[in-house]
Amino acid sequence: MIALEGDTLVFRFPEVHDDAHTEIEFQRTLRIPDDGKHYPLPPGLGAFPLRHVEDFAERVPQRVPGRWRERGGVMMPLYQAEAMWISFRGGRRFGGYPCAIKIAAGKINAVSGKAWKPELDASERDYIVVPEQPWLDGFCIAKDVIRQFVAMPLGAGYSVEEQITCKAEHGGLQMIVYPMKKERYEAIMCERESNAQRACGMPMFALSFSRAVGASADMGLAAGGRMKQQIYADPYGLDAWDLSASSRCFVTLADALQWREITGAAPPTRPPTAEDYTKAGLPWFDYYAADLETLPGSAKLALVKSVAEMAAEKGEQVMGPDGDVKPGKIIDVGPKKARSKVRAPRKSQA
Amino acid sequence: MQEFGDYVRRVRAARAEADSQFSLRQVAQRVGLEPAYLSKIERGLVAPPSEATIVRLAGVLGEDPDVMLALAGKVGSDLRAIILRRPKQFAELIRQLKNAPDHAILKVVREVRDGNW
Repeated sequence: MIALEGDTLVFRFPEVHDDAHTEIEFQRTLRIPDDGKHYPLPPGLGAFPLRHVEDFAERVPQRVPGRWRERGGVMMPLYQAEAMWISFRGGRRFGGYPCAIKIAAGKINAVSGKAWKPELDASERDYIVVPEQPWLDGFCIAKDVIRQFVAMPLGAGYSVEEQITCKAEHGGLQMIVYPMKKERYEAIMCERESNAQRACGMPMFALSFSRAVGASADMGLAAGGRMKQQIYADPYGLDAWDLSASSRCFVTLADALQWREITGAAPPTRPPTAEDYTKAGLPWFDYYAADLETLPGSAKLALVKSVAEMAAEKGEQVMGPDGDVKPGKIIDVGPKKARSKVRAPRKSQA
Repeated sequence: MQEFGDYVRRVRAARAEADSQFSLRQVAQRVGLEPAYLSKIERGLVAPPSEATIVRLAGVLGEDPDVMLALAGKVGSDLRAIILRRPKQFAELIRQLKNAPDHAILKVVREVRDGNW
């Protein structure tokens, strides 16, 4: 079952194990420059608001397209060219209950670049495993390199979905979560509890550009700048996952400019630019787990054009200039680091 | 409220074994309290602090704020507001769920509706 608790999606599998749950949040962040350089992990600037689509489908049906109601799930507001990352958090015991998670944008798998398939298939290696993978910032284009998730209006031609399928059909984000089998989890717990010292806590953790042609209230995810991020292979094997228990969710990405009309609430303000953030001396982050195998990245996703490349090709100006960004302070928040280190500037810095 | 103080001390001490950032002084600093005051809270010499302080303390310790508020004999102001909006229905609901097992209570939680996609 999936519940919306505040702005967090909570996946629970009480039929598998009392501990079986994982939490997913969508973090606001800086858009990294789309200039061919590889950037470290940008900060989390707070969770995007999430709302049940059905609440507003009934309240303001004229503002909520029928297809949103049909697919259900939740919705959140993003501005054109705004970036985001996905945060995964497990329970409180030893970093969380292991789960295998498939993530897609516009029904294109964010790890493999292939069309969405809900089933887990070890040969495809197209899913992530939590708590080993605490965050996902974008499309996996090569080993240890991703292209940042950047929202663009569906229909404008920028989204990865449109570039790969030549259709603007789905937009949004799709995910399905499989919990670890009870027996396997309990065996791991026994082993870990015998050596509690090993426990490693996962860090949690007014522009005036023209609207892209063909804009709609639906947003899709396009490929932004390059970032160093490891996407870890499944260290447990397919046999570890309870394939009879899964939950899936469609996350509609709504244009932030229409969020108030739909919900009556103001959307979050635009995040600062990467240039302003860096010039303020605020930190970037790095997460590196040397002992885990990483996935090689998708050749299909590597061929996708970034927002900047596509905008140049179309002769459109759809986002602000990236500016000169040289991350100075980079904080290591890797798995061996303290639980209290989170991927966000401290309140006193922000 | 010795139970609250014991809980805070036990959790903080367990974290401090692996990470010096959970020393009494450092936790107090991050929560915005005087170390001497946090020490008194842990020993049950003073009443539990305000709701806002307990929520901050839960955040620093990585604990559930609702559980910590309950240990302090408090109910979060958000929950209070929810109950006060429909006191009769929520009072009845809570009484009915009093002895229900966890999995039955979870069934009452509103699920995110999945559609066709």
